[in-house]
Amino acid sequence: MTDPVNNQPVLGGLRQWFDPEKQPTVGRTPDYRFSLANERTFLAWIRTGLALIAGGLACAQFLPPLPVAYLREVIAIALLLLGGMVALRAVDHWARTERAMRLGRELPGSKFPAILAIVVAAGALLLVVAVVIKAVE
Amino acid sequence: MSPDPGASAERTRMAWRRTGLSATAVGLLAARPAFRPDAGVPAWLVAATAMFGWVALIALAYRRSYALGRTPPQPARRAVPVYALITAALAALGGLVVML
Repeated sequence: MTDPVNNQPVLGGLRQWFDPEKQPTVGRTPDYRFSLANERTFLAWIRTGLALIAGGLACAQFLPPLPVAYLREVIAIALLLLGGMVALRAVDHWARTERAMRLGRELPGSKFPAILAIVVAAGALLLVVAVVIKAVE
Repeated sequence: MSPDPGASAERTRMAWRRTGLSATAVGLLAARPAFRPDAGVPAWLVAATAMFGWVALIALAYRRSYALGRTPPQPARRAVPVYALITAALAALGGLVVML
């Protein structure tokens, strides 16, 4: 049995991004306040993504060349990749939540916030180590 | 009952506006290399594309704000995925900015 909320085929998932309620029309229209709350959550994630993108661009333009070759560019690209991923994950989660609300199901859970937190923390730790090694040398 | 219980339409409108401000920061940072004295055609093209994406994001937010002003407010549809895809495209464009 496939779960229509979580086990969408890839194309169906993409279609769901653009039409979360019409593939096919399922369930009942939820109270618009719930839909707007879902939309604000999406926007908060988009701002997170935009902040990561802005951070990547700022790294590339404002950091002096770092002692390790291309480290500045690697940091910038990593932040840009993270930002893009956050944006795409945000719309996917928005569509799945919208659908779950229409069907009266449990809202989809997500490991993404935890993964993002761990990735950002690991990146920060790596940079701290790099700075300490440079200072000791 | 108030026409907008919990002010959810107004809060959503303001969330769109905040997001637009973040998009403005990204657009300006992406366009910045075009203003260097040694900037060439690639930097100009990147800046033009970034500005185009920024205008699209702001326009989407305005359209969405209009739909939120109706009673009852209309839930979002296309605006959300299009906004996210343009944001992802800006991230890709940022990659070009770093490479140039």
